[in-house]
Amino acid sequence: MKPRRQNFDDPALLGLQNRLAASMSGALSQSAHALPHEVIERLRFAREQSLVKARESRLALPAGLQVLGVSTSGTALLGSMPSWWQRALSVLPLVLLVAGLLAIQKFSAREQMMAAADVDAVLLTDQLPPAAYSDPGFGEYLRSPPP
Amino acid sequence: MGLHAAESALATEKEISDFLKSVEKRAFKRAVYAVRGDDAALDIVQDAMIKLTVSYSDRPAAELPMLFQRILSNATMDWFRREKVRSRVIQNLSDFEGSDDDGDFDLLESLQVMEDTFGTESAADAVARAQMLRLIESAVAELPGRQREAFLLRYWEEFDVAETAAVMGCSEGSVKTHCSRAVHALAKAMRDKGVDKP
Repeated sequence: MKPRRQNFDDPALLGLQNRLAASMSGALSQSAHALPHEVIERLRFAREQSLVKARESRLALPAGLQVLGVSTSGTALLGSMPSWWQRALSVLPLVLLVAGLLAIQKFSAREQMMAAADVDAVLLTDQLPPAAYSDPGFGEYLRSPPP
Repeated sequence: MGLHAAESALATEKEISDFLKSVEKRAFKRAVYAVRGDDAALDIVQDAMIKLTVSYSDRPAAELPMLFQRILSNATMDWFRREKVRSRVIQNLSDFEGSDDDGDFDLLESLQVMEDTFGTESAADAVARAQMLRLIESAVAELPGRQREAFLLRYWEEFDVAETAAVMGCSEGSVKTHCSRAVHALAKAMRDKGVDKP
């Protein structure tokens, strides 16, 4: 006889499957409730220990710090609920950094302008007119070694 | 205001304790079926309990069952990793792939026979009943890992298909398939062991 293919959506088979699973689960429950006394005691101890550890863990957290969430690996993510001024304070270092960089840029530009102004002032107040520097002969005179 | 509402929904220590008390025996048996050793199973259950109470105490009580089952599954896998028993890990991993080989055995007929066997009072005799329980436990322990997990979550922990899928991290279709195969495999195993007459 050709084997019958399984049909997971067949209501009759599903019903039978569910009833059978329920009766087997009932049997498993009977077995679970008939655990040896030693195992029951160890489970009770494990439960109490886990609650003690949880209590210790909560006490070990600094004031204001609490478990904010848990990662998929089960690690607790700790922190405190930030208020508006705590959030503002956390942005403060960034604001200070940007302000410092702007101040440095402004100071550096000012320094360059001052240096250029000094050169211009020297040239303009000199007895030699600035146009003399564009004269090839004067340039040659400047490059030639002193006698 | 929202914070207060969230806080009021969090599980209290008593709720967590009561919850653990209600699931610890089944959790222990579930771990035993997986690792086949009482001491290892107790370690796994204790690890799972600690992880739940320490890391998830900020969750509402209603979320505890699914969280705990997921933690228990992860703790069991962690145990296998820690043990580094190569053959066992390989067997366990291969278990997760499942099998389509159900042979030509008449599933429907077997299910009916099994239901008759467990649905009547024929096993009222204490010795016969204990023997029957051992057979069932042995058959459950021999199921492939994913099938056993799906079967126990769905029928023993009484999770619905969606919840079982969420705990197992798979689709609802996979859960149905695993459950169906598990029940059929259990029925076949029981019949193979001679439990075919009420």
